Amino acid sequence: MSATTTSGGAAVGAASGGERFFLEREKVLGPLMLLPAVIYIVALVGFPLVLAVLYAFTNVTVGDPRIDGTGDFVGLDNFRAVLNDNVFRKALRNTIGFTVISQIIVIILANILSLVLAADFKGKRLVRFLILLPWTTPIALGVLGWFWLLDSVYSPIDYALRRLDLLGPQTPLGPARNMYWLGETELARFAVLLVHIWRTLPLATVILLAGLTSIPQDIKDAANVDGAGFWRQLFYIRLPLLLPIMAVASLFSIVFTFTDLTVSLVLTRGGPVNDTQVLATWAYFKGIQGGSLAQGAAIALFLLPVLIAIAIAMLRLARRAGAD
Amino acid sequence: MRTPKLQRSDLSTSALSRRSVLKGAGAAGLAGYLGTRAGAGAATLVQSTPTVNIQGTSLSILQWQHFVPSFDTWFEQFLNEWGQANGVTIQLDRINTADIAATFAAEIAAGQGHDIVEHIASLPQYEEAVLDMTDLVAEATNRHGEQLEMCRNNSFNPTTNTFYGFTHGYAADPANYRKSLWEQVDLPDGPTTFDELLAGGTRIFQEQGVQMGIGMSQEIDSNMAAQAMIWAFGGSVQDENENVTINSPETIAAVEYMKSLFEGCMTPEVFGWNAASNNQLLVAGQASYILNSISAYRTAQEQQPDTANDIFFSPPLVGPGGQDLALAHGHAVFTSMIPTYAQNQDTAREFLLHLVANYEAASENSKLYNFPAFPDTVPDLFTEGGWLENDPAGSEPPDKLMPLSAANDWTVNLGWPGPANALIGEAFNTFVLSDMMAKAARGDVTPQEAVAEAEQTLNGIAEKWRTEGLIGGGQ
Repeated sequence: MSATTTSGGAAVGAASGGERFFLEREKVLGPLMLLPAVIYIVALVGFPLVLAVLYAFTNVTVGDPRIDGTGDFVGLDNFRAVLNDNVFRKALRNTIGFTVISQIIVIILANILSLVLAADFKGKRLVRFLILLPWTTPIALGVLGWFWLLDSVYSPIDYALRRLDLLGPQTPLGPARNMYWLGETELARFAVLLVHIWRTLPLATVILLAGLTSIPQDIKDAANVDGAGFWRQLFYIRLPLLLPIMAVASLFSIVFTFTDLTVSLVLTRGGPVNDTQVLATWAYFKGIQGGSLAQGAAIALFLLPVLIAIAIAMLRLARRAGAD
Repeated sequence: MRTPKLQRSDLSTSALSRRSVLKGAGAAGLAGYLGTRAGAGAATLVQSTPTVNIQGTSLSILQWQHFVPSFDTWFEQFLNEWGQANGVTIQLDRINTADIAATFAAEIAAGQGHDIVEHIASLPQYEEAVLDMTDLVAEATNRHGEQLEMCRNNSFNPTTNTFYGFTHGYAADPANYRKSLWEQVDLPDGPTTFDELLAGGTRIFQEQGVQMGIGMSQEIDSNMAAQAMIWAFGGSVQDENENVTINSPETIAAVEYMKSLFEGCMTPEVFGWNAASNNQLLVAGQASYILNSISAYRTAQEQQPDTANDIFFSPPLVGPGGQDLALAHGHAVFTSMIPTYAQNQDTAREFLLHLVANYEAASENSKLYNFPAFPDTVPDLFTEGGWLENDPAGSEPPDKLMPLSAANDWTVNLGWPGPANALIGEAFNTFVLSDMMAKAARGDVTPQEAVAEAEQTLNGIAEKWRTEGLIGGGQ
């Protein structure tokens, strides 16, 4: 912006120039730009986190969530109670299991999908749109859709299987008329995994697709000239170059899956017999519905070590990327 | 869902007859408290006169979405008429009943929210955040006669001597059975004992391919079914003094029975149900017998009239414990709470008294889903030739609901023979009983192990609430 030439304008110009000079100082501009994020994180992440830690060491209930004094602190009692609870141990195993299994599958599928979508073919935009759709759908609505797909009476999947003579009396999946997806432990776990994969696959695919398109063309050309085939290029060029990007995709997906409440809550309510219970849902049932707010907080805190480890990994990745 | 202030012209008219209006008002015997009697087309039977000045105040209500939609339509008009008559600004927010506890918890944490929170079950674990309603119960009793003992016990904590809620009504929890299926196993009036249930249900499943629908899932209906079965076999979760008593030969027998019932006539779907699933199975014509209120039947009347005509009701089954222990919970117990942070506490009390005074309209517009906590307010319900004998919502035959006529006798509070306390509240919301049944039924553990594990869990919960001073026992 050029300075004005009138006297009044010169004064204004000088003032705004001073402000600009002030704002251009790194010590001012940096903190200023960071401030909204810091306020956001402190208010919506930091404060609840500190509160949860405090709650976990007290006897607060949902009816009386105030900490009135040192008399309310009960040391490690809540953690002892939680660790003695079979449901908690099952929820911990499920949380880890759902996260690890779903993310292994997501990474494999995301690699395949990103390779497909990187190629040129007719209808590519439509396919990209369809693959991204689960990510754009509100998670609660998406899970409700799955809930109806897997309904014990009206499941369209079961209907299709019956029409194909695969389900019902004297069929390979029979004799029952329905699969009871959410009533059998293995099927219910499969359903929860399926929805987690359905939900996180688009994000991982898009991240890997961005990584693929960033591989310099001259490297691919050189490989072609050297006669490297598809598999050789995949394992010796694309995947090694994509590894850092894959790590980013995995970390995001792990966070979403590990901390997820909605899938288990809407789809199974943790059933059958807590076989799909996860830490987030058990903290909710125990702390909010059951009224034991302190124990709910203690359960939720078991998410923290994994999330801290992921945060450290992400920071290291970011630092390495910066150094590169 | 936030409902904006309602306009009378937008709302449908009540189906109440002039006879109901006059009878309701007369039976209540409320001359000292009644201002005007509303005319035909109004949702209000009697317009109560507030005992304190509430003009210019406001009232916000957080309420569960009723299972019979006509009640919600009536309630909106009723509330708006009361607001207009008393100069009170109304706000009504309705959400799914499963979300009430979490929403209420958030409001308690924030220290602000609605003036009345109504749920379909007791929330004793929230006691410290709500007002003692002893005065309201006394006033309602003074005006309308005795409150049902079951309803009192559903909202009263004897340890703290506090009414943490005000129960204005309940929904009976009979058995719903398909008559045509049971006729073919020589039980045309449905089973009356647990032995008949197992034998008949197994034959129906084997010969007619229709399963039974008693849930063992992580939802409220499964909890209630498990509890009713434990009672019928002579067991209980706690005693009168709030000590955990679940680990008994009677409870183990009930769990063994449930395992037999699952193996004989149910499918694994019952382990993965939500609260609507048994209704859905019955309406779909794929259940021989379920335990539920009449809401599933009312739904079937609209969606599947043929199925509805085949659905009949029976009282709780008799088990080894005998006729006196053939009991059921209130399937829904309509309990209003006024939080300590409520800005309009007097207005809230006045509205709840007004609601009780008009319970005949509430009952009729819920298609007899709502039974009164103060029986004198709905004289048409139980009398000879009354609503249960001649269903105004069009049952065929008209006296189909007669098995509910003794519901006041066989319905007991959550946690009976003890009170509805925080132990029972947390146990229900963390599915201790239904999981105990399911583990044994699936063969994960023996019935003895399942009951022992449930006992350990319940003792842990009881100890915590005892330390908080909210439950007794422990000696």
